[in-house]
Amino acid sequence: MELDKIKQLLTAYFEGNTSLAEDNILIEYFNSDNIDNSLLEYGPIFKALKTAKTESTNRSFSIEKSQEKKLGKRWYAAAATIVVLIGVGAFYFSQPQYTQEEKEALMAFNESKRALLLLSENLNKGAEQLTFVHQFNKTKNRIFE
Amino acid sequence: MEKTEFISAIMPFKDKLYRLAKRILVSKDEAEDAVQEVFFKLWKGKKNIKNYKNIEAFAITMTKNYCLDRLKSKQAANLKIVHSNYQTTENVEKNIEANDGVAMVFKIMETLPQQQRIVLQLRDVEQFEFSEIAKMLDSNETAVRVALSRARKTVRDVMIKNYNYGIG
Repeated sequence: MELDKIKQLLTAYFEGNTSLAEDNILIEYFNSDNIDNSLLEYGPIFKALKTAKTESTNRSFSIEKSQEKKLGKRWYAAAATIVVLIGVGAFYFSQPQYTQEEKEALMAFNESKRALLLLSENLNKGAEQLTFVHQFNKTKNRIFE
Repeated sequence: MEKTEFISAIMPFKDKLYRLAKRILVSKDEAEDAVQEVFFKLWKGKKNIKNYKNIEAFAITMTKNYCLDRLKSKQAANLKIVHSNYQTTENVEKNIEANDGVAMVFKIMETLPQQQRIVLQLRDVEQFEFSEIAKMLDSNETAVRVALSRARKTVRDVMIKNYNYGIG
């Protein structure tokens, strides 16, 4: 291949104006052993392009998601449901449970507690007033001594 | 379409899909995952495949879209912004540690904007016609040619710069 032709193709290549056949001429030229010294720097580009096409994968691909994976997902769902149920159950049972009778008793207890509290409050008010009587006694004793 | 028929239809170009995915995602594992995902999707949508004249081109478009989506969601997850559109030659150079010429060309390809990378891969590596590439990328031939020319020139310019630097 004449050098001039290669140079021409190179210019066209970088402008995006080469055909696939012309691209292949360049790839072949730069992957050969007799590259002109003036064009050595272009070598790696076309060597890379040729190398890139040989790359392949060894993974074996399937076209359907395996049954195992589906089952796995179902297990996740089941596990999540159980966890939620346990959580709800634990919350429910941690709350105190009363029968109707117990509830009435509790209400009565609270009522009587309130009534007794009211009573003691008023009693204390009365007791406070007694201090005046004490004061009166003290003064009376001082005078009549 | 039967399973065996389907497999024999898609397996011949699995490496093409893989290479394209790897060109976009860079990581080998992620590229293989992407191809696997595309195969699942193809098989799931097998009823529609008959409508597509060229299953290979369809698969390539799918792979491209899937990989670009992957990149987007990955970037969103990392809250990282990659300015792939205005990469300067400076950080291109930073990315190049390989001294070997061919490895250097691959490194340079990784720094190209996505669209250019994809076009370069489809034209220069997989050797598709411009009309085919335009269809795969939902673009037109002129745009493909322009992107290709830019990609080739960037690779050349960075390459020659580094090549001369390596010698001198």
